[in-house]
Amino acid sequence: MTPLDWLIVVLRVMVPILAILMFLPLPMWAERRGAGLIQDRPGPNRVGFFGVRMFGLGQPIADAVKFFFKEDVTPDEADPFLHTLAPWIVMFSALSTVAVIPYGPTIEIAGRSIPLIGADLPVGALYIFAIAGLSVYGIVLAGWASNNKFSLMGGLRSAAQVISYELAMTTAAAGVFLTAGSLRLTDVVAAQQTSLLRWNVLPQFFGFIVFTVSAFAETNRVPFDLAEADAELVAGYHTEYSSFKFAAFFMAEYTAMFVASAFIATMYFGGWSLPFYHPVGLVGGIVSGAVLGVKTLVFLAIFIWVRWTLPRFRYDQLMTLGWKVMLPLALANLLWAALLALGGVL
Amino acid sequence: MSAPRLIFDIAGAAAVVFAAILVVHRNPIKGLLAAVVSLFAIAGEFVLLSSPFLAAIQVIVYAGAILVLFLFVLMLLNLDREAGPEEGHRMQKLLGFVAIVLFAGMMLAAVRSSGALAGSSGEPAPTGEVVPLAAALFSQAALPFEAVSILLLAALVGAFVLARRDSAPRPPEERP
Amino acid sequence: MSAVPLTHVLAVAVALFSLGLAGALLRRNAITIFLSIEIMLNAANLALVGYGAHVGGYSGQIVAFFAIAVAAAEAAVGLAIFVSVFRHNETIDVNKIRLLKW
Repeated sequence: MTPLDWLIVVLRVMVPILAILMFLPLPMWAERRGAGLIQDRPGPNRVGFFGVRMFGLGQPIADAVKFFFKEDVTPDEADPFLHTLAPWIVMFSALSTVAVIPYGPTIEIAGRSIPLIGADLPVGALYIFAIAGLSVYGIVLAGWASNNKFSLMGGLRSAAQVISYELAMTTAAAGVFLTAGSLRLTDVVAAQQTSLLRWNVLPQFFGFIVFTVSAFAETNRVPFDLAEADAELVAGYHTEYSSFKFAAFFMAEYTAMFVASAFIATMYFGGWSLPFYHPVGLVGGIVSGAVLGVKTLVFLAIFIWVRWTLPRFRYDQLMTLGWKVMLPLALANLLWAALLALGGVL
Repeated sequence: MSAPRLIFDIAGAAAVVFAAILVVHRNPIKGLLAAVVSLFAIAGEFVLLSSPFLAAIQVIVYAGAILVLFLFVLMLLNLDREAGPEEGHRMQKLLGFVAIVLFAGMMLAAVRSSGALAGSSGEPAPTGEVVPLAAALFSQAALPFEAVSILLLAALVGAFVLARRDSAPRPPEERP
Repeated sequence: MSAVPLTHVLAVAVALFSLGLAGALLRRNAITIFLSIEIMLNAANLALVGYGAHVGGYSGQIVAFFAIAVAAAEAAVGLAIFVSVFRHNETIDVNKIRLLKW
């Protein structure tokens, strides 16, 4: 492989990661202002540039500066190695899942065909589930290494929640794989490409509901944020974290939200494809990436909207919902998808 | 030295090193984390052996569920402090270690000399695709598949019954 | 024929199996013994998949798949037994759990 080939591979992988890291301040700002909008108050609108207060757009920058200058505290009796390792496990897990989400078709540039995806694995979607499952370790270790009962409880609750909703999520996703006939995400997008009616949200609506609710639970977002419940567990598993390590947890949560939104868009809303548009060449690639970006931002807005609208679930309500409602609904959806596939409809 | 072989050797070395850390380290939680890394390295080796599906299953089930269960048990029973120094029997451990090294060498030599390394079945080499694996799984191995699902149900019920505290009050003891 | 020669795979599998065996025999902490047994199971799975890649067909992967499922069931029941025994004895040192001795 020539150096140019290596460069193309590196660019393919880095484009979505850089896009996410560049756009990371956006949900941070949108969260605070969106919260204000929903709660009928202004939200942070003071921070601006050169005396111009631009809708508080400077707020994420102020937050980042604050994180840099805070003192990094490790609790006394805690295990320093585990305490330092935990946020990076969550960060690694959140960033690695980006690699298999397709952000465009295979485009032709200067005689080379470049698939616009980090790695087109034959088991693409399973890879996402596998790596997302590893984030459990980061959370539980953060809870344990803080040497603090509240943190430990938050960590263990979160791990139980993630594992329970993982089941419902994969069963709902199985319906999509059944009709697409493959685990590759490029095939899933290709199966939805031909018409708007083939977007999986329409034939498998309940699967979409289960998948989205489980995605909320997997990323520890309200109404499933028992792990970091502010009023009950102080800050749950990241109570004893400050400065840069807390920033790592914070960034990892938003990255996970990004990836979850992109994943939902790919599985149920056609990903980078629009039914009437056939992308060609570099321009087509950029437009496809922008389409996926817009769909991702819509779901991010829904994440933020739900957070500030619904109250938090109690732990037993959460587990009941996961095991007694979501899982049977996902199984019913799987049966329905099997009937559709058998009947030759999809 | 081709790239797949090199990566396999690195992953293999990582798996062995972290398994050694599990065996040697006194703290069970650090040992468990080392086991997670070792299993992850083995999953990487599965990918290099043309079975990405099994690699994903290994990470989801083994590293992501079974070892998390171990971690829960360690944390809920607070077994971190239980790891006291393992005293005594130095000679026993040394001799045991030597015996196991000899055993490893013997196994490798036996496999080499038995001629099991040559030969192949008539079927083509596995590609990384999932569809042929699924076809084989649900046609040739359909019966074991159903049997394993019943086994998992039995294990679920068994684990639940074994681990629960006795909630019914005990009848008065009738020992003399 | 796969890109990775079979001897490499078997060398890693044998090394892992021996390490697991060493851990299971020489440690006193029950959880560490259990984890070492899981390492042994993984070594066997690696050997299975290695042979499958070498010999052709999907049987190696299928048997390894079932081995993982059975290992999950075994881990669940084993940990349940461990929890009950721990509740009774309050120690995880296997040298100290001697209820069945004469």
